[in-house]
Amino acid sequence: MAKFIIKRLLAACVTLFLVSFVAFVIVNLIPADPAEVALRINDIPPSEEAIAEMRQQLGLDKPFMARYFDWLSASLQLDFGVSYTNTDRMVSEELARSFPYTLRLAGISLLLLVGISLPVGILSAVYKNHWFDHIVRLFIFASTAMPNFWLAFILIWCFSLELNWLPSSGATTWQHYILPGMTLCMAYIATYIRLIRNAMLESMGEQYVTYARARGLSEWSVVTKHMLKNSLQTSMTALGIGVVRLVAGTVVIENIFAIPGLGRLALAAIFNRDYPVLQAYILAMGCLFVLSNLIIDLLHTAVDPRLKTAGSQQ
Amino acid sequence: MIFKKMMGIGCLLLSSVSALTPGLSHADSEKTLTIANYRDIRDLNPHLYSGELFAQNLIFEGLVHLDENGQPEPWLAESWTVSEDGKLYTFRLRKDVTFSDGTPFDAHVVKSNFDALLDNSGRHSWLESIRLMMEVEKSGKESIRATDDYTVTIEFPNAYYPFLVELGVTRPFRFLSPGCFKNGTTKDGLDCLVGTGSYVLTSNVVDQQSVFEVNNNYWGEKPEINRLVAKVIPDSQARLLALRSGEIDMVYGLQLISAQAYKQFESDRRFNTALSKPVSTRMLILNTTSEQLADTRVRQALTHLTNKAVIAERIMLGLEQPADSLLSKNVPYADIELTAFDHDTSRAMELFRQAGWVSDNGTLKKDGKPLNITLSYDSDKVVERTIAQYLQSEWGKAGINLDLIGEEEQAHRDRLKAADFDISFNISWGTPYDPQSFMGAMRTPVYGDMLAQQGLKEKKQIDQSILAALETVDESERQKLYTYILETLHREAVYIPLTYEQNQAIFNSRVNGVGFNPSQFEIPLQRMSVKE
Repeated sequence: MAKFIIKRLLAACVTLFLVSFVAFVIVNLIPADPAEVALRINDIPPSEEAIAEMRQQLGLDKPFMARYFDWLSASLQLDFGVSYTNTDRMVSEELARSFPYTLRLAGISLLLLVGISLPVGILSAVYKNHWFDHIVRLFIFASTAMPNFWLAFILIWCFSLELNWLPSSGATTWQHYILPGMTLCMAYIATYIRLIRNAMLESMGEQYVTYARARGLSEWSVVTKHMLKNSLQTSMTALGIGVVRLVAGTVVIENIFAIPGLGRLALAAIFNRDYPVLQAYILAMGCLFVLSNLIIDLLHTAVDPRLKTAGSQQ
Repeated sequence: MIFKKMMGIGCLLLSSVSALTPGLSHADSEKTLTIANYRDIRDLNPHLYSGELFAQNLIFEGLVHLDENGQPEPWLAESWTVSEDGKLYTFRLRKDVTFSDGTPFDAHVVKSNFDALLDNSGRHSWLESIRLMMEVEKSGKESIRATDDYTVTIEFPNAYYPFLVELGVTRPFRFLSPGCFKNGTTKDGLDCLVGTGSYVLTSNVVDQQSVFEVNNNYWGEKPEINRLVAKVIPDSQARLLALRSGEIDMVYGLQLISAQAYKQFESDRRFNTALSKPVSTRMLILNTTSEQLADTRVRQALTHLTNKAVIAERIMLGLEQPADSLLSKNVPYADIELTAFDHDTSRAMELFRQAGWVSDNGTLKKDGKPLNITLSYDSDKVVERTIAQYLQSEWGKAGINLDLIGEEEQAHRDRLKAADFDISFNISWGTPYDPQSFMGAMRTPVYGDMLAQQGLKEKKQIDQSILAALETVDESERQKLYTYILETLHREAVYIPLTYEQNQAIFNSRVNGVGFNPSQFEIPLQRMSVKE
């Protein structure tokens, strides 16, 4: 087991190194002079003198690889440099400031995701081909086809403008997170309902379910205590990956709902060509994905040791 | 049974949401105005350039203010004189001004602020006045001197008339309390944000909202609005929805409101709208070094082919007026008589014919080669794309192949700077930077203007005239020089003026007295009020 963990950790390190290089290369391939970009963002007319001074200030006069290794070694100490857009702010501080907002949004979204997809998924399995199941299928179809920015505006119109229940933008109270949370979870809800429904339907044919019913247990008890417990394993794994997707999927939603999280930071950085922020964001997201994959792999292996053996044999 | 229980879980979830959201805090009353901006106020250091201008205007003041006509009027300086040769400016300061931290405002504070600016002169190299002050400093003399506690003199090596206008724009000539300086200067950041302005910044949650309250130490008349809350809402649709739901009172600014949205609110009785005078010119810039456009007659023909009225009415929905000249007549020195290039297809075809371009099966050709022209635009700007597509269709009817190149902002700017275009969209700098800064930039490769004008026989004379206009102290001579520049660029059809941009505001019935200052970046709260 220890050998397997070390192997996976080493692979994760190599992947992260590649992610860091790709992040640096991609951003540097953008056909724009970062010095001029930095001036433009700050509304400074890009005179030759100003560009030369900015190039020196940003260290752009050094060779590419030297800049990469400088950036990498600083990044390892969580120093991603200074934002072009806000020259008085460190990128690491910007990430640290934005992350809690995104985490809150992802958290509320996850709660809504579980709170909605779990009962709906179970019910549509229990009442297969019932009118409720048909409505759920229609809902799944509609929510998959609907772009999330459009859904966001529909929710704002409905809950903010017409019903006046929830605020349309901002992030000062937890109520501010409900509409963006609903929008965000809607992109994943169809998948989870289907996943839970299918897992439940598979469980229904199992012998332990028949045995439970034969023991005279109530249908509620059979569904929740026996079928659900066994069906949740697959869903939980998918949910583990889903959490990272939720964090990374906030770009459009945070912009519409004016939540100052990681997604909005990234979008602003893309529009402003704020290279240091963009590089740090790509690296952070890469780390998050690699880390979550690693944890899931290790958990899988812990639960089912056959996977480790299969992996070793390959 | 299961159905009921499961639905119960769902209902519990929904009811908990509605129970915990009993009421929404809408725009506060108590003389509070809530507005929306598309981004954070960022670093408000007025000696640097990254902060939001509207916020800097609330906190920091300068020696002079630009009145509604763009003319300098007293502000922190109660009067000033300019020597006959235009090289020495003497400012007498108000004696009743203190910063919001209680520090008195005097000549020594002015001197220390100017010294801080000169300490970072490279950053301000776009300003001719800073360059001139540095020239004096490098000669071993002091350009800025505090001759007594309330008198400051500023010396230049030669006359430079736009100095008073430059002092009136938001940055960098605004004053900070010396107690906020870091390492004795301002280029490395600030320890605090303290100005003499009518408002102070009381709180700022990055990327969420900023709150400004009236400065109790303010030396002048206090504004009626006690509190300004500036919320950050990046998405334009979300901003308008927040206005409709009452979460904000007003959306104010150039480029924050689309023409369609403005029209919708204009016809909604619950809201009011306001439009400023023209603040800048939307135009096409024609590259005179381009093979196809080197001939003046071709450029003039394209100008005649452009139907500005249709662009103003159908694309801009009447919110921008058709532009007949490079600068609107309300811009200083631009109120001159120029014969507009009317939309006249037959005149255009005659000019093409004179230039050797003849129609062959519906395509204009010269020596067997078709007239292919490129038009580049910023793909992020929907208006530019729409106008480009309209021109492609209209000019196509005259036999011109107009190829459109839509690129993201920085690539578009790079193309402009490298003069790698036939025609491109351009915009003047807007009031109060027009005409002096806009024309000053035509002498240096800041944007595309200088390179695009290189094909003109009179380019050298245009540049000399710009410099002379900036340096002369004779008002009529200056007018004559600007007239020459504007007439030449007009006659040579280097620019096709399309429309004049106007600042816009949409606000609810709580807000009164909404108006505009000459600077498009200011929100004149002094004249506004809100119902409690």
